[in-house]
Amino acid sequence: MGGAAWRGRTGRSAGGAAADLLMAFRAAPERVLTGAVRGVAARRPEVFERLGDARRADFVIAPTDFPVAFRLRPDGRTGEVKVVRHDDDAPCAARITGPLVLLLSLLDGSADADAAFFSRRVRIEGDTDATVALHNTLEAAELSLADVLGVRPPLREPVTRGASAALAVLRRHAGVA
Amino acid sequence: MAIELVCPAGSPAMLRAAVEAGADSVYCGLRDDTNARNFPGLNFSPAELAESVAWAHARGAKVLTAVNTFARAGAADRWRGSVDAAGEAGVDAVIVADLGVLAYARRAWPGLRLHLSVQAAAGSPEAIAFYAREFGVKRVVLPRVLSVGEIAALMREIEVETEAFVFGGLCVMAEGRCALSSYATGRSPNLSGVCSPPEAVTYTEEEGGAMTSRLAGLALDRYAPGEPAGYPTLCKGRFEVEGALSYLFEDPVSLNAIGLLTELRRAGVTAVKVEGRQRGKAYVARVAATFRKAIDLLERGGDPSELSAELTDLAEGGRETAGAYRKTWR
Repeated sequence: MGGAAWRGRTGRSAGGAAADLLMAFRAAPERVLTGAVRGVAARRPEVFERLGDARRADFVIAPTDFPVAFRLRPDGRTGEVKVVRHDDDAPCAARITGPLVLLLSLLDGSADADAAFFSRRVRIEGDTDATVALHNTLEAAELSLADVLGVRPPLREPVTRGASAALAVLRRHAGVA
Repeated sequence: MAIELVCPAGSPAMLRAAVEAGADSVYCGLRDDTNARNFPGLNFSPAELAESVAWAHARGAKVLTAVNTFARAGAADRWRGSVDAAGEAGVDAVIVADLGVLAYARRAWPGLRLHLSVQAAAGSPEAIAFYAREFGVKRVVLPRVLSVGEIAALMREIEVETEAFVFGGLCVMAEGRCALSSYATGRSPNLSGVCSPPEAVTYTEEEGGAMTSRLAGLALDRYAPGEPAGYPTLCKGRFEVEGALSYLFEDPVSLNAIGLLTELRRAGVTAVKVEGRQRGKAYVARVAATFRKAIDLLERGGDPSELSAELTDLAEGGRETAGAYRKTWR
């Protein structure tokens, strides 16, 4: 665990024009998302203790209905998030694939990961141990989308409530409730 | 008295979700191999356990701590340490399987309630009487291989409380004795606290959308595109024998006995238990709320079976069963 040796199968799409556009302007979302990871690590270092060796693992989070993917290294205050193409074949510990709304719902704990796996809506490839550690850490962390976006009080609570309600609607709309 | 609803927690957040959704009791484990859900990132530190007990007690809920793996020679201090941590945290009971751990808990914490884990596989009046007599066990978690009729017959011959699984993953082996995970990976729920340890599990996506699950390199199943999947355990592997492909031991399905609550109460069961400490907040909130509704309905004279279909989307393989409670294979 913690290594970054898995490459997975090839033949994924590069993502087309939308991906080109997002890749060209990836610096800003990378800064926000990386800042959010490091911000949580600064405020709640105990969250990252659950990860064990998996904190140094690279995870590729690949929404099937979004032009680009994300490469996450949840290494506490030196953690980072990079925007990558779906056909990025740099080694990683694990690749987690599924609809964007479901991946976001797993992040904030409003969807059940095992049910998402049983239904085949979410797929896991690579290091299962690291992926299980990431899932259990997120479950315990009680993160909200406001945390992911780096929103601080006093806006954090209203943004959290609004995002949760929006996710619930989107899940029902997408049939992944 | 109403049936007690016992729900799982793999983290303090999940414990709070369970209690807020209506659980009477929550069971959990410490972050090591002294409990049967020793997965990476899961479980409680001693400090989290103490905080969670205080939180639960303030809301009228109980916390039961599983120290339910079998202590290994030369390493028993860890099991004694978990019992001590549970006792110091003020838990309402410890759930134990190992004779040595039971003896230690009885001696070191004489006021601490002892529940016998399902891992002890105690399903006869004689076995249960032994644990009650020798260790003062107050409740037995029943093996998941008994029918409702067998439970009713058992209840007439024992004097301790019983707890029966009603939802979640099924284990149809003699629990605490299964060696399938050990055979494939060298680690088992009995000694290491993990069945099919995740470091030995791989999933391979194939062109066209099929997926193969493997345990320590052994292929367990190949799922067609879109076909619901199950847990990666050898007992739920799909194997070809004499030309026929089938689930030899157990189908990938979840237990759902919500429709049997009336019969279980009539049989004299004290508490019903939900499996799944490895799941999460969303799972436990929905399952606890549904079973809370079902038990309350039962108390008002209603029929809980009307709620049977509410949790199917959470089931392993997308399918549910009444398991051994409606044993039809004998």
